[in-house]
Amino acid sequence: MKAILKIALGVIAALGGFLDIGDIVFNTQAGALYRYDLLWAVALGTLGIAVYAEMCGRVAAVTQRPVFDVIRMRLGFGPGLVALVASTFVNLLTVAAELGGLAIVLTLLFDAAFSLFVVLAAIGIVIAVALLPFGGIERVFGYGGLMMLVFVAVIFHQDPDWTAVGNGFIPSFSGSALYFYFVVGVFAAALMPYEVHFYSSGAIEEGWTTENLKENRLNAIVGYALGGILACALVIVSGYLFHPLGVEPTDLGTAALPAQGAFGETGLLLALGGILFCVGGAAIDSSFAASYNLSQFLGWEWGRYRGPEKAPRSTASWLLFLFLGLLIVLTGINPVEITEYSVVFAVVALPMTYLPILMIAGDRSFMGEHANGRISAAFGWLYFALIVVLAIVAVPLLLATNGGGG
Amino acid sequence: MRRIALSRIACAGAVLVVAIAGCGDLSRGELSRGVESLSAIAAQGELIASGVARDATKSTYTRVMAKTMGGEAEHEAEKLADAEPEEAVAGERHAAVLVAEEIAELYSQLQIFPGDEHHGAVVQKHMEAAKEKADAIAERLTGEEQ
Repeated sequence: MKAILKIALGVIAALGGFLDIGDIVFNTQAGALYRYDLLWAVALGTLGIAVYAEMCGRVAAVTQRPVFDVIRMRLGFGPGLVALVASTFVNLLTVAAELGGLAIVLTLLFDAAFSLFVVLAAIGIVIAVALLPFGGIERVFGYGGLMMLVFVAVIFHQDPDWTAVGNGFIPSFSGSALYFYFVVGVFAAALMPYEVHFYSSGAIEEGWTTENLKENRLNAIVGYALGGILACALVIVSGYLFHPLGVEPTDLGTAALPAQGAFGETGLLLALGGILFCVGGAAIDSSFAASYNLSQFLGWEWGRYRGPEKAPRSTASWLLFLFLGLLIVLTGINPVEITEYSVVFAVVALPMTYLPILMIAGDRSFMGEHANGRISAAFGWLYFALIVVLAIVAVPLLLATNGGGG
Repeated sequence: MRRIALSRIACAGAVLVVAIAGCGDLSRGELSRGVESLSAIAAQGELIASGVARDATKSTYTRVMAKTMGGEAEHEAEKLADAEPEEAVAGERHAAVLVAEEIAELYSQLQIFPGDEHHGAVVQKHMEAAKEKADAIAERLTGEEQ
């Protein structure tokens, strides 16, 4: 019973760590523009994050080495530093985007100055991290994020054309640059690197060993699959409501409109609450990931379980990343724009962190009997090839489509 | 031979300069995209106002969304008004500016009365009409293009 509860909690934590402002923005826009046509890209991205997270969790549990420890070991200092700088840049943009997202939702709920809520959101995160243990942080935001299930209920309320929804899972190519930009966007939003950096470091934080490998697999597969269902729900409800009307969701608050349309004020509050917890959890995960990466690369003591006294440089770097994220949002740049850039640049940086993990996960001298089997290796390399292609085309598509503006 | 080629290039360049000078900086395609944005902003306004009309929303949400979207409509109006249109689309540009102003005004009504069901219903109706006007302009622009 205890084991089942532990797995359930892990699944919730994985679910909470999956949906963030990038998923919400890109999936809602994808539905509004292309109705259900991009559901296949969401499913592809979800499978990708499950494969990547499972490998990272397994490597961490078996070797006791988190992602950036492995990167430095495999790539060496120079190339590893390039990966660190690229990942830190993306993580910093993500922290800023999530903080901005938190402030947008708080503004929608309480109508006061946006900049005040940005500062309050950052303070709230520091307090939550100071008061809650590591597992507690994951669970509070994971449970809160379950309010996003309202979007699944909205689907059944809308009762869309299920054949059209089903057809959306079959890859289709419209040929326009904007369509491919959104393919990259929804795929990359599902595969944000900070999610696995946090997941892998979390495995070390929670003292995983080879005994936790089953738990790791279930968390990665079931947790991210549930996250994928929520991401698909955002596309479907947006495709049903916004696409025929020609609504272009340029604001985070627009994503909550389908829930309001279906269930009135209760639906609206559940949607905003779900977004608040998902984005809040992602703000913590991404700021932790930035600090974890730096500490692991430089060999500093790190870990929430050690506390600020035993890991002072790691704690200070976490506060610094949060502060820098705060400053970026306070410059007045639209958080939705920051989100779009963070998602696109994330896919550019992704191969640098994905490849070392894939290599060590398949290395029997490190992983022994837990090295990648044929299926894991096939999936792993297939996704690596896909990520490399997307990394090459991401920035040209961003420029060609004027950042998705068409 | 070379002289003739150079003079042809010079003539083509001169024609291009004259054509560009007479064009203005707002093309039919750009105006069409601006009008489509207006239609999208009005469509969203219809949904927000529908929540107010049904008493199915939260006042703070309506007020903040109306402020944001109204700002976008105003921005679109300013952008269109500032641009120098091609002669052939000057009339449509003027009509688009009026629609943008109308949408911004409707959003300001929502901002002032975010909890008033009657106002919500009226704004919803007018947003629908504004969207239809924007769609009609877009249709004329794309129709004339064909």
